[in-house]
Amino acid sequence: MFILNPQSGVPIYRQLLEQVRRMVASGQLTPGTALPSVRELALQHAVNPMTISKAYAMLETEGLLERHRGKPMTVAGQARAQVSAAKRVQQIEPLLDQLVLAARQLQLTDAELVKELRKKWEASDE
Amino acid sequence: MSNATVEASHLGKAFGSRQVLQDLSFAVMPGEVIGVLGKNGAGKTTLLELVLGFTPPTEGDVRVFGHTSQRMPGETKRRVGFVPQQDELLDSLSVGDQIRVIASFYPSWDASLIDRLCGEWGIDTRARIKSMSVGERQKLSILLAFGHRPDLLILDEPVASLDPVARRQFLEQLVELCADGERSVVFSSHIVSDIERLANRIWILKEGRLFWQGGLDSLKESIVRVHLRCRRELPENLNFAGLLSLRRVPGGGTAVVRDWTEATQSEVIQRIGGEAEVETLALEEIFLELHR
Repeated sequence: MFILNPQSGVPIYRQLLEQVRRMVASGQLTPGTALPSVRELALQHAVNPMTISKAYAMLETEGLLERHRGKPMTVAGQARAQVSAAKRVQQIEPLLDQLVLAARQLQLTDAELVKELRKKWEASDE
Repeated sequence: MSNATVEASHLGKAFGSRQVLQDLSFAVMPGEVIGVLGKNGAGKTTLLELVLGFTPPTEGDVRVFGHTSQRMPGETKRRVGFVPQQDELLDSLSVGDQIRVIASFYPSWDASLIDRLCGEWGIDTRARIKSMSVGERQKLSILLAFGHRPDLLILDEPVASLDPVARRQFLEQLVELCADGERSVVFSSHIVSDIERLANRIWILKEGRLFWQGGLDSLKESIVRVHLRCRRELPENLNFAGLLSLRRVPGGGTAVVRDWTEATQSEVIQRIGGEAEVETLALEEIFLELHR
């Protein structure tokens, strides 16, 4: 369900945080969907359970997840509606910055970059 | 009294005139997994032995579950598990007999866990210990430390001889052990990627001192590599808050920086009249950068 790379410079809890935010924002995770338990995710990825619970707790504070006694956490009811398009764009901004920088270093024009981006976009649609 | 599992203040150890550890203060809280990193000879094993009470400190003190580590009552000792760098298995025994010997010390011994792990880890209980490979001995020695479900598990370089499959099984067992959030683990390893998975706090020992201690996440968020590019050369006397090291190359350089912020970023960009690209670092890279 999630892709966690412990060897990344980005802390594991942050990777999880960003993936859940993106999936909720895009509607891939719909309200009411149950998330894997802390223990399940920790075992599956062989990472510290506290790291997972830290991310879940932060997502709960943000209002994206809901905690239920003795049951798995779920995606909160109004999670998607709360996230405006502008907010969602904000979430991929760091990636955009990197992409633009790399394109400039390679001396690509903006038109070339947009064209390649569109190709990828369409390919991922299929 | 605090509820820390381990608490040390101004701990130091000298062997004769050689000061191995100096002025270490730290705490291990329930649920924490501490990864201990350091070059060979940095004092990792000595540190773990001080916590275990195997050797007296020459300065300061260390307490385990509230007891001075050298004077832990038997009941407290039974809450601690230890996997030494060199196993202490008895060559003359079979695996099954070795397990029974260790089990007899612990009223809380979890025989069904050990049976299950023997199966999963492929440990033959009929095998003679003297005929086992280094890796098999290491597996057995780890397994024995899990048997009494210790509240504090200390491992000194536990996986050096394990294959990747066995290492993963070991890591999963550690996750199981600390999943209830009450047990603590302290382990040293040169396999930084294992520490990166499991540890939530990191101690970096350098020349006998705790050079860095804190959350793995904050370590990764704090220390970054910044690639600087400018039209000419970087200013002669370039320095800014948090700069740890700077390597110059024509048309720029690479800086390693602590506590990098956006404010620092705009300051630096302005001073060099160019651009700065930030690269986050894996733990191994951070370790190497801190040892340059």
